[in-house]
Amino acid sequence: MTQPLLAQYFPILVFLGIAGGIALAMVGGSILLARQKPDAEKLSAYECGFAPFDDTRRRFDVRFYLVAILFIIFDLEVAFLFPWAVTLGDIGWLGFFSMMGFLFVLTVGFIYEWRKGALDWE
Amino acid sequence: MNWTLALPELVLALSGLAILVAGVLPRRDMTFPCTMMVLGAFLLSGAFVLTQPDGMGFGGQYISDAFARFMKVLVLAGAALALLLALDWNRAEGLSRFEYPVLVLFATLGMMVMISANDLMSLYLGLELLSLPLYVMAAFHRDNARSSEAGLKYFVLGALSSGLMLYGMSLVYGFAGTTNFAQLAQVLGGTAPISAGVVVGIVFIITGLCFKVAAVPFHMWTPDVYEGAPTSVVAYFATATKVGAIAAIVRVLAGPFGGAVDQWQQVIVLASIASMILGAFAAIGQTNIKRLMAYSWISHTGFVLMGLAVGTEAGLRGVLIYTPIYLMMSLGAFSVLVAMRRNGHAVENIQDLAGLGRTDPAMALGMAIFMFAMAGIPPLSGFFAKLYVLLPAVEAGFWLMAVVAVLSSVVSAYYYLRVVKVMYFDASTGALDARPSGVSFVLAGTGLFTMFFFLMPAPLLAAARQAVAALIG
Amino acid sequence: MFVGAVFFPLLGACVSGFLGRWLGDRVAMWSTVFFMALAAICGLLAFWQVALSGQPQTVVLFTWMQVGELSFSWSLRYDTLAAVMVGMVTLISTLIHLYSVGYMSHDATPSRFFAYLSLFTFMMLMLVTADNLVQLFFGWEGVGLASYLLIGYWYEKDSANAAAMKAFIVNRVGDLFFMLGMALTFFTFGSLEFDAIFGAVQDHVNDVFLGIPSLELIGVLLFLGACGKSAQLGLHTWLPDAMEGPTPVSALIHAATMVTAGVFLICRMSPVMEFAPVALAIVTVVGASTALFAATIGCVQNDIKRIIAYSTCSQLGYMFFAAGVGLYQAAMFHLFTHAFFKALLFLGAGSVIHAMSDEQDIRKMGGIWKKIPVTYAVMWIGSLALAGIPFFAGYYSKDAILEGAVAAGTGVGMYAFVCGAVAAFLTAFYSWRLLILTFHGKPRADHHTMEHVHESPLVMLVPLLLLSVGAITTGFVFAPYFIGDAATAFWNGAIYNLPAKDMMEALHHAPHWVPTLAKTVAISGILLAILIYGFLPHIPGRVAAAAPGPYRFLLNKWYFDELYDRIFVQPARRLAVQLWQVGDARIIDGMPNGAAALAAGASRGTVRLQTGKVASYAFAMIIGLVVFVTLFLTGR
Repeated sequence: MTQPLLAQYFPILVFLGIAGGIALAMVGGSILLARQKPDAEKLSAYECGFAPFDDTRRRFDVRFYLVAILFIIFDLEVAFLFPWAVTLGDIGWLGFFSMMGFLFVLTVGFIYEWRKGALDWE
Repeated sequence: MNWTLALPELVLALSGLAILVAGVLPRRDMTFPCTMMVLGAFLLSGAFVLTQPDGMGFGGQYISDAFARFMKVLVLAGAALALLLALDWNRAEGLSRFEYPVLVLFATLGMMVMISANDLMSLYLGLELLSLPLYVMAAFHRDNARSSEAGLKYFVLGALSSGLMLYGMSLVYGFAGTTNFAQLAQVLGGTAPISAGVVVGIVFIITGLCFKVAAVPFHMWTPDVYEGAPTSVVAYFATATKVGAIAAIVRVLAGPFGGAVDQWQQVIVLASIASMILGAFAAIGQTNIKRLMAYSWISHTGFVLMGLAVGTEAGLRGVLIYTPIYLMMSLGAFSVLVAMRRNGHAVENIQDLAGLGRTDPAMALGMAIFMFAMAGIPPLSGFFAKLYVLLPAVEAGFWLMAVVAVLSSVVSAYYYLRVVKVMYFDASTGALDARPSGVSFVLAGTGLFTMFFFLMPAPLLAAARQAVAALIG
Repeated sequence: MFVGAVFFPLLGACVSGFLGRWLGDRVAMWSTVFFMALAAICGLLAFWQVALSGQPQTVVLFTWMQVGELSFSWSLRYDTLAAVMVGMVTLISTLIHLYSVGYMSHDATPSRFFAYLSLFTFMMLMLVTADNLVQLFFGWEGVGLASYLLIGYWYEKDSANAAAMKAFIVNRVGDLFFMLGMALTFFTFGSLEFDAIFGAVQDHVNDVFLGIPSLELIGVLLFLGACGKSAQLGLHTWLPDAMEGPTPVSALIHAATMVTAGVFLICRMSPVMEFAPVALAIVTVVGASTALFAATIGCVQNDIKRIIAYSTCSQLGYMFFAAGVGLYQAAMFHLFTHAFFKALLFLGAGSVIHAMSDEQDIRKMGGIWKKIPVTYAVMWIGSLALAGIPFFAGYYSKDAILEGAVAAGTGVGMYAFVCGAVAAFLTAFYSWRLLILTFHGKPRADHHTMEHVHESPLVMLVPLLLLSVGAITTGFVFAPYFIGDAATAFWNGAIYNLPAKDMMEALHHAPHWVPTLAKTVAISGILLAILIYGFLPHIPGRVAAAAPGPYRFLLNKWYFDELYDRIFVQPARRLAVQLWQVGDARIIDGMPNGAAALAAGASRGTVRLQTGKVASYAFAMIIGLVVFVTLFLTGR
């Protein structure tokens, strides 16, 4: 019972391995091949324009978050679209229109945020 | 698929989207037209609810029965009237934004989904669709620190309770193997002992639902949110969403977990007793009338849970009679709270009502009726509400709960009557501003219902009986 | 039509009460009169259809409430009994509404008055058309309330307030018994619907409650309830005081309709009462005693309205003992005729009072018959009917009652007859005493008042004339139906008589000397009064001086008020003072104060839990969850 179950997860293990390999290759290649001229700014971790360690009671620009939230919505939409596109042949018209409904709702939201000026930086 | 079954919800959702676009596209203030459109959508949806046939749809996720129709009509009515109250209040407070009616609409849609849920999934979906707009609404007065605080508190605690509930659902799914209500009922109704995992899951789900109905000890958010949030929003919180929450807890406990009644009964009894006691005692010291209403609701929750805890047909019927009566009393009381405004500024202390008996006798009379009704004084409707949950409790032998109920009624009568006393006997500190016509409308309608319910209770009783029959089959 | 007769008055009351301020007094007044007229048309049609054409029916309005096995519906039960009352009440009420338009024309808030009056009529109709005891009780309490409001209508007068309170409290005593009776009825029959009760009487004849036969106990309790409303001996004290209300109120409520509700109740419950012979005997004795007792007091009173009030009391006694001997038909007949002539007398008295600038003491009247001839004439007609002079309405009904008392052939029947005959004599006597002192002799009012004596306006005279037509004709027109040959078809089962004692049959075989005697005593009473007060005006004073004890005894109404004051009111007050000082201030106040302090403490404690910190709230939730889970798992 447990053996076939684990076997089903084997592709994920492979996937993890490949992902780790690529990440290692990218970071390692950069270390090996590129010239290293570090300074303080370059060594700090990148965190959306914030200093990673700082006083919590600090002013920040809420627009970063606005953009981030909006981004996540559409990011997830895309993540949702992939499996849909792959299985479209199996789920037929019902599946097609379900996604169209979903996109329609998102579009209404998009119109709203556009009109509200959430996408303008200034 | 049978998607036409969900016509009320579909109509509401589509009109919500359309109203959102209609509100955002023009360059001018669209609050009033949007509010009217939302009211129209409620009306349309209500018409569809009334003609909705029985049946199941969306792969068993959605159910339409007499119970769902009964509750949906109440929810829609409550939402519409609360929105009517909000119109003037928001304008006066500078909160006139067209998003408000749209948020109300989506929250109401969430409740309707929740009421019609026949699966833990759709229940959760509806619950979240309800909660998210509510968080925003609580913080709607975003330049006001108290309102923002209320919104944030509500969000954090709401997220916690949602998380607990979701965890409970996953436990139930893991141990019972299904999320469908009908199948759950079958599994739990069998003779086989129920596994501890399911039981723990049920507790977690009950916790989430108790948070929504503000039963002790999951009530802590209520007074703070009631006090901080704009009064117009609280009017919606205290009326329509309570109906939705009651509907959800009744649907879940009497439906899929009906077979496990012995398991959850004592928990609900405990929550009921604690709610009644706390609601009665904590309200005594309050000076802010919105806080008072919060504790008043907690005490009413105790009564509602009492009917639920009894678990018999009569008990559930009591709950279903309690709900509309409470809805009307509460709407009426909040119509007065919304009208509490002096020299253009909203006031919300009990003492601000002083002398209302002379400065605005009609409103004082209305408020007195609602206070007396909430205290359960015959022949006002509140008396029958309490009677119909108390009798089944006594008949089923829940003596402790019944005694606590009566005692807490006596204690709570004290603070309800204090409001009446302040209105009629204390020296006025200046008249309140003239009340808007929306308030007068709601006040008159709910007042007449509360006053004259006893003359013709039969239609409501019949509807409640039908709804209960649909619920427990 | 059936519904209209009952609900038009309510409509009128609502219009006048709620909209009176906007409509103006005139419109409000006339609108209630209009609605009453509609009701009267409906009521008379209903009377025609139900009573005369013999088509009883029940109109179900809706189910009122359902609690466990207790289920009530609002429905209007139209059988002959109800139809007689509905026709009578709507007709008389309409006339009195009309009369009031004139009588109350100088009042400050007539719309309030008319609203009360119409409300009363509605409640009375609700009472008589009730299909179950609860609905009847609703009407019963409703008329009590309306009566309270109307007695205290001039609420700035202390005496009016006191009288209203007294009426209310004394009625409460009666209502307590009524409620007990109702509870026992439900306990015995398991229902309060008349049909169910009447259908099941046979099965419960031998039921016993606390060692007493249930039906007897029910009968006695209901009768005691009726005593309160109908001012029978013991609970009569409120009725004379109730004359503080405006005169049309006295005419409508305290003569024609409300006070007869008790008689109606006994007749309505006849299927039960028939199986309660002891209760019926009590009814007879109390009724007969009241008839005599009230008549004696009536002879020495000086207030024109109080005299008529005691006469009402006395006539109600007749009705009760008629019902007591089993002649419900005659009781209803007397109720019916009495309504006309007593309303007539009251309205006539009102007209006199109106003419005399609100003077009510007959010692200060006299010599005005030429100035107000119409009022004088109608007062004569009313008195002739009251005294039972042949061919006037009262003659037929009173004769029937006296004959029935003899025909019953029992001891209590004979007692009732003797009391009734003496009372008839006294009735005639005080009626003519009133007539002569009021209208004849030298004017005893001051000059100023006499100059203003004037006949009432037409709007008041028309009802008077119509009522006098009723006082003359209702007797011989309706006698065949109520108690004559057509009675069986007329009542159509609305009243139940035990087959064993057919009183209707016995009535026809009553001894012939009875009617003769009745006529003789009535006429001799009249002659005596005319002789004494018309020709020998110094005699009464001398009699009073010669027998000061009896005179004072009568003048002070047999000292009933003082007795009650001594027995109930003062001890109650002493007890109250004691309770207040010791029980209330020390013990009772101590407990709630302690409880209140406790509650306040508990409140502070619970409020302290509400810290305002989200973390502590979340903590409370988690603790609650843990408790719940523990409970769940250990409770299994």
